[in-house]
Parts: sequence; C-alpha cells; structure tokens
Amino acid sequence: MVEASPISLVLVNSYGKIAYLNSYAEKLFLYNKNELIGRDLSILLPQKYRSHHPDLLKDYFTNPVTRQMGENRDLYALKKDNVEFPVEIGLNPIVTVEGTLVLAAIIDITERKKANEQFRLVVESAPNAMILADYSGTIVMINKQTEILFGYERDELVGQKVELLVPGTVKRYHPQLRDKFYTKPQARPMGVGRDLFGLRKDGTEIPIEIGLNPLEKNESQFVLASIIDITERKKNEEAIRLYTKRIEAKNKELEQFSFIASHDLREPLNSITSLIDLLLEEDAGKVDAEMLKRLDYIAKSSSRMKDLVKGLLDYARLGKNSEFGIVDFNEVAAIVVNDLELLVKNSEAEINVKRLPVMAALEVEVHSLFQNLISNAIKYSSKYRKPKIEISAQKVESGWEFAVSDNGIGIPKSQQEKIFVIFQRLHGRNEYEGIGVGLAHCRKIVELHDGKIWVESEPEKGSTFYFFIPLK
Amino acid sequence: MKKFKGLDCILLVDDDEVTNYLNKVLIKKSGIDVHVEVALNGEIALEYLTSTGKYSGNNGFPKPGLIFLDINMPRMNGWEFVEEYSKLDSNKKADIVIAMLTSSNNDDDVNTALEKYELPAYLYKPLTLEKLEEIISKFYPVEV
Repeated sequence: MVEASPISLVLVNSYGKIAYLNSYAEKLFLYNKNELIGRDLSILLPQKYRSHHPDLLKDYFTNPVTRQMGENRDLYALKKDNVEFPVEIGLNPIVTVEGTLVLAAIIDITERKKANEQFRLVVESAPNAMILADYSGTIVMINKQTEILFGYERDELVGQKVELLVPGTVKRYHPQLRDKFYTKPQARPMGVGRDLFGLRKDGTEIPIEIGLNPLEKNESQFVLASIIDITERKKNEEAIRLYTKRIEAKNKELEQFSFIASHDLREPLNSITSLIDLLLEEDAGKVDAEMLKRLDYIAKSSSRMKDLVKGLLDYARLGKNSEFGIVDFNEVAAIVVNDLELLVKNSEAEINVKRLPVMAALEVEVHSLFQNLISNAIKYSSKYRKPKIEISAQKVESGWEFAVSDNGIGIPKSQQEKIFVIFQRLHGRNEYEGIGVGLAHCRKIVELHDGKIWVESEPEKGSTFYFFIPLK
Repeated sequence: MKKFKGLDCILLVDDDEVTNYLNKVLIKKSGIDVHVEVALNGEIALEYLTSTGKYSGNNGFPKPGLIFLDINMPRMNGWEFVEEYSKLDSNKKADIVIAMLTSSNNDDDVNTALEKYELPAYLYKPLTLEKLEEIISKFYPVEV
C-alpha cells in the first residue's frame, strides 16, 4: 500500500526514527531507502526546526489521530542536497505489533507557493483596489490600493466579512447577493443599474464600481473583486450635467428672446404703417412734396424693418417642431425648381440636377435650403451670360456632400465667411433686393442636421456652395 | 351708415393707444353705426361691463356686442380677463362675442383661445376692413 501511493510517504516510530519510506519519498528527498531507514527523522528537517520537533512528535503520540500537520504554520522540509522546500503533511497513526507508528504523507507545494506568490504580486501591483474573498464572504487577501481606498490596515480586513465595507441598507441583504453570485459564478460588473458605494473606516461613503471574477485557487472557490473609486468621474459627470442644463436654459432663453422681441417689434411697426397709410390716403392734399417724400421714407423704413423682424422670427423658428424623416432629395430639388419656374424662365437659367440621395433629414427645412441656394444662384447671376446651375451630391465617409454650383458673379475671398451671418449683405439695396437672411437660414438648417456648409468661389466666374449632411 | 341688429357697441381692449386709435378710425371708416369704447387693460374692461370702478353709476352704457381682446396687457391680460369674464352673471355677458385680436401666432395661444376658452374668433393684427366686416356679418348678420 505504501509503495503504490503516488505521494511521498514516510513511516516514523514513536522515537522519531524512520521505519520506512516509499520510492516517491526517495525521489523527493533524493535519498536511498537504506540511507534513511533507522535514521532520526530530523535529517529531513531544516536545521531551525530540529530542536523542538521531538516535543511535537511526543505530543502527537499522546493523542495519535489523523490530521493535518502544522495548522496555520508554513512547513518546510530538507533534501539531501540541503535544499529547503515547502510541504504540506498529513499524519495518520498506524497501530502495529511493534507499537503505534505515524505515517506522514508529504506533498511538495513549491509550485503552488510560487503560483500563490505570483498571484499575490499581480493583485498587489494592480492599480485598483482588489479583494479576494471566499464563499463565506470572508476576506482572504487585499492589496495596498484597498488599504488606501477604504482606510483600513491589511490585518484589519483579512479574516473579516466583506460586509464591513458595505454601507447602510445594502449591508443587510449583501450576504444574499453574495449567495446569488455563487449559484452562477461568472465574471461580471456588480450592481448593474444601481449606484454602488463603499464604506470607509472613517464612516464616509465613496462611489465605486466593482468587477467580480470567480476564481479557483488551491481547489477552493473564491471571488476576486476589483474596485474603482469613481468619485472624480461622478464629479465630472455632475459638472457636465449642470453645464448642459445651463446651456439648454440659455438656449431656450435666447429662443424666447428672439421670438418675443420679433413679435413685440411687429406691433408698433404695424401701427406706423397704418398711420402712414392714413396720412397718404386722407391727408395727401394737405402735405407738400417734401413732406410726402419724408412720409414715403418712413413707410419704406418701416416696411424694411418689418421684413427684418420677419426674417429674424423665421430664423428663430427654423427647425422647431420638425422631425427627421426619410427625404428623397431628388424630389425636393424637382419641387423647388418647379416652384421657381417663373424666375427660371425669366432668367433663362439652365438647371441641371444630378442624382441625389434619399436619406434622413428635415424635409421642410431641406426644401427651404434648396430654395435659398437655387434662387441665390439665379439672383446673383452675371449679366454677361445666362445662368447655369448644377446640383449634385457625392457619398463621403459618414454622409453626403452636396454641391450647388453656378456661373454667377462670385464672392470675393474676404467676404466668404460673412455671407452666412444673419443680416449681412454684400450689395447695396439698389443693386440686389433682400435683407440678408437666406444663407443664415441655410447655415442654421445644415447645422440642425449636424452638418456643415461652405462656399468656394471666384469673382466673375461663379460660386459653388457645398453642404454636408451626415447619415443619422 | 350701416346699423346691425344687436351691435350697439364695440369694446376695444388693448394697452396700445395707437392701436386703439387706428381701430377706431377703421371702424368709423367702415361706415358702421356703433359706439366704440376703449379699455387699456382687462381690469378696465371688466369695470365697463359691470359698471364699477371708473364706470360706476354708468348704468346707461351701451352693452358691447363685440369685444376685441389683446393678450399681452399690463395689470390684467387677455387670458385673465376671459377667466374673470366667465364668472360674471349671465345677463351681463349674454350675446357678447369675444374675439382675440393679437399679433401672436403661437399655436399655444390659438389653442388656448379656441379650445380652452371656446372663444368664437381669433384674429391676427392688424385689424382690417375685411376682417371687421367678416366677423360682424358672421355674428350680426341682420342690417337694420
């Protein structure tokens, strides 16, 4: 029986003499049987353990039962070549005619120790707090980061239940959560969908994120919890949330402001117009030519202001209450060209629409975008040639890039940024009509699509307006 | 001059004097024989309807058949006026047509007027001869 066992076995009598050993023990200790049989057991012990070993032996024989040797103590043995190595030893009393012997089953745990040590090093050097706990929720191992995070010393935590680190109400039902984990142990983040907090030694709570990993070590089940302090992240998130809220409020205020301002400006304007109408209709005979001219100027100014206010109001209202839908840009272009029929005919413009995409967009706004760009292309045409307009689109990585090009008067480089700003005009009113909202509208529409609009142009040759609309 | 049965008075409720002036001129121009009363806010309008405050003792007042009501006014705005008006005795408000007359084309305002308060008309400023004639022919079709 002793010889066939795959572990090292050494039989020792009550005097501490080696009675027998199997071949595994020979290989382990590098001795031959006959070198050891009859020798004192202490030959297999490192020097430092030899003096008190006889006492331990004596204790054992007063009560010889099957048990592990050296509970809670690291055991070491000595090979023939004087190499010390860690062991685990099981003791079994054997009663024979020569009296009671003890059979020591010895396992070399060098590899296991090494693996344990490596594991410890990995855990220790992790940038997160890590806690190894067994199935009963008892903390087995922690690292330096855990000490720092929770404010405990290592030996204040090891041996304690993990609930020591769980705050308030959760503390009570945490053991149940733990049990649930062990019914289906798999790596996962803890507490999905709820905010987790850790309890520090000083009683303060910290927001944390926990990853759980089931782990088999030395043939037992453990769970390794990796814990991150997310105080900073929470703080940043909160700051961003507040900031966003502030911007939203400001935006709304601005929207309201332009709406109300435009609105309230209209009433007195209406009154001015009506009063002038009354004067011109009923009192025309009473005013002289000079006064008539002044009245006419007042009329023109108020009518212009009315247009400006309307432009501002329309601008503020762009994109309000509109929703994205699937828009066939070919159809939109065709409708717009048709709407502009008279203008196209009078200017003898040639409009060439290439294949355009069908994509998610704000239909009403896109309509207005094309309307503005095409009518601009006709309006700012050269007096030396008939307007030629081409509308095309090409697929780029994350969306479509559209181009509306003309052979018109063009825009000087220095003015190209300015044209997209509301009420900015490049020409005198007597040259070209308008209040300078068209391209500002275009830019706002494109930006409502999270896109971009720009122009490439050369004076006297023509302009190409590009706009990019990303895919939704 | 035209006279419509039941329409003895039009009450203009607006805090803008110029608007009131212009509307008075417009009504005069329309050739309709009707008394025009002006109230600069909802409170004064209520006083006129109930012969109280500034109008106490004014029992012989012509009862308005038509009220043109602005929304945005100090002290008591258009909505507050409608609220208070609805609490009046029915004999004080019988046969009065309230028309919102405002420059607000805010959907919320239109819905509040037509659905919540069930006002018979919602007109955009400025008032014109056409709008005036249309509303009168709708509610006071009989010319005398």
